[in-house]
Amino acid sequence: MQLVINGLVIGSIIAITAIGLSMIYKTLNFVNFAHGDFVAFAAYIALFANASLGMHLASAFLVAILATIVLGIFMEKVVWHPMRRKNASRTTLIIISIGLALVLRNTLIFIWGGSTRNYNIPVRRGFEFFGATIAPNQVLVIISAFILVFALHCLLSRTKIGKSIRALSDNIDLARISGIDVDRVILWTWVIGLGLAAAGGVLYGLVTAIRPDMGWYLLLPMFAAVILGGIGNPYGTIAGGIVIGLSQELSTAILPTEYKFAVSFVVMTLVLLLKPEGIFGGAK
Amino acid sequence: MIEYVDMLLPYITTILLISSIYAIFSLGLNLEWGFTGLINFGHVAFLAIGAYTTVMFNMSGFSLFVSVIAGIVLSGFFGLLLGIPTLRLREDYLAIVTIGFSEVLRFILLNEQWLTRGPFGIHGFDRPLQDVIPYQYYNTFLLILYLMILVIVYFALERLIRSPWGRVLKSIREDEEVSSALGKNVFWYRLQSLMIGSAIAGLAGAMLAFYISYIDPNTFKPIETFHAWIIIILGGTASNKGTIVGALVFCTFLSVTQFTSRFLPFTAHQMGAFRMIVIGLLLIILMMHKPEGIFGKKEELALSD
Repeated sequence: MQLVINGLVIGSIIAITAIGLSMIYKTLNFVNFAHGDFVAFAAYIALFANASLGMHLASAFLVAILATIVLGIFMEKVVWHPMRRKNASRTTLIIISIGLALVLRNTLIFIWGGSTRNYNIPVRRGFEFFGATIAPNQVLVIISAFILVFALHCLLSRTKIGKSIRALSDNIDLARISGIDVDRVILWTWVIGLGLAAAGGVLYGLVTAIRPDMGWYLLLPMFAAVILGGIGNPYGTIAGGIVIGLSQELSTAILPTEYKFAVSFVVMTLVLLLKPEGIFGGAK
Repeated sequence: MIEYVDMLLPYITTILLISSIYAIFSLGLNLEWGFTGLINFGHVAFLAIGAYTTVMFNMSGFSLFVSVIAGIVLSGFFGLLLGIPTLRLREDYLAIVTIGFSEVLRFILLNEQWLTRGPFGIHGFDRPLQDVIPYQYYNTFLLILYLMILVIVYFALERLIRSPWGRVLKSIREDEEVSSALGKNVFWYRLQSLMIGSAIAGLAGAMLAFYISYIDPNTFKPIETFHAWIIIILGGTASNKGTIVGALVFCTFLSVTQFTSRFLPFTAHQMGAFRMIVIGLLLIILMMHKPEGIFGKKEELALSD
């Protein structure tokens, strides 16, 4: 039971952070290896606002999301948009994203050092639930993830920008000739994707220690969730994230905890071998 | 003056030794990326497999020659294993799976202490001709040996690339549909390229182990893979000569920055991070403005789909 709860918590974090990865993957047609480091960046901004500036964690949460989005828009303007205009291939973009990942992560190490940190918040006792101990932070994570997913669903299905985003990820050329302002919608995709990643990063900092490489180690589970759910399918990605989170935690019942990370690798490789279009995705 | 020469010579030997190991390691990646267009972000895994296999075979009583061959073969075999699920799919899957594999492998090396001694690392294995060569000349001997290996690997690769096999590789890189329309089995050619590239990395792993005479899992962090990427892109994608020059330039840069760090107001920790920031920025800027590298040819670029 404890493992199931832990799995749900980590699974919902993987789910909301991976949505952005999946959307960018489909819309811009490249894997953003820096995505995990945006997650860590958000956790550190929240840490800075909370522990150094003394802000309440809720406002630190918003500051972190805002800062991550600003950084994302900056990168779109300075790197991704010019590279698209040059018609750069996706292999070029992938290598650039690896470079960006190195820069981001090591900037965090440069400023805050490599050691682990925690938010400045009171430690509260967990409560018992069917023999498992649940920390209040874990409940907070699950509820927040649920709200975010619901908000995303409304955005994608009800608003004009949400529909444009979906149209773009379906077929970018078709979207362009039907009069959608592609660059504006791509900007929105970054905003939503990185906003969710940032929210996930701050929440992740609540249930684990904040380290510069926290996002890097989240990258593989995120990829696994994206591939499991079918690339570009936000609902598949959410389901994939929960599945990966659960299987990671449940694996600790039979394997040493160090191999949690390997579980997502094995799951991902199996999916690629057997059903590369994803389990929840259908043919793409 | 004499004292300076006495100090300088071992220093230059060290730089050249490290450069030759990196050069061979990167030549393997250049075959995969430069000539075939495969994105391998876990190249360091094959360096690790080569090093650990060689050392462990030697510790269980095999001769050095057999051990090195075992390391090369096993690295190539793992290249095959990783290629099978990924090379039929888009190029980015190989990138994801290889980078995941290199990290999972490092965890295994760290945790399976009965096999690898985990974080304590392995030392006390044989080095080539260690009983014959006097200790003070050992690095000079190793350098001559490694330069000979580098020359052999270089010419073997050049021949391979100019062969009909190599032309098929390049044609796949340029347009895989044309090659498959001409009846070439694209998947199989890619798999062969990945296997050979990984086997070369395995050889570099054995060489690294002999040089530092001690290996532990943290020798094989993901950053080593990106060192090789920088070397290739600096030297010019799809140029074996460029890769060797790139390795020399990069290794000199690394060791020179170790000196200049005294003049910067950073802690050792910050210096390490600073160097990685420079490497990351270099990757971004080179890919944005000069993707063919400093010595590369623009026509030889796998970047236009």
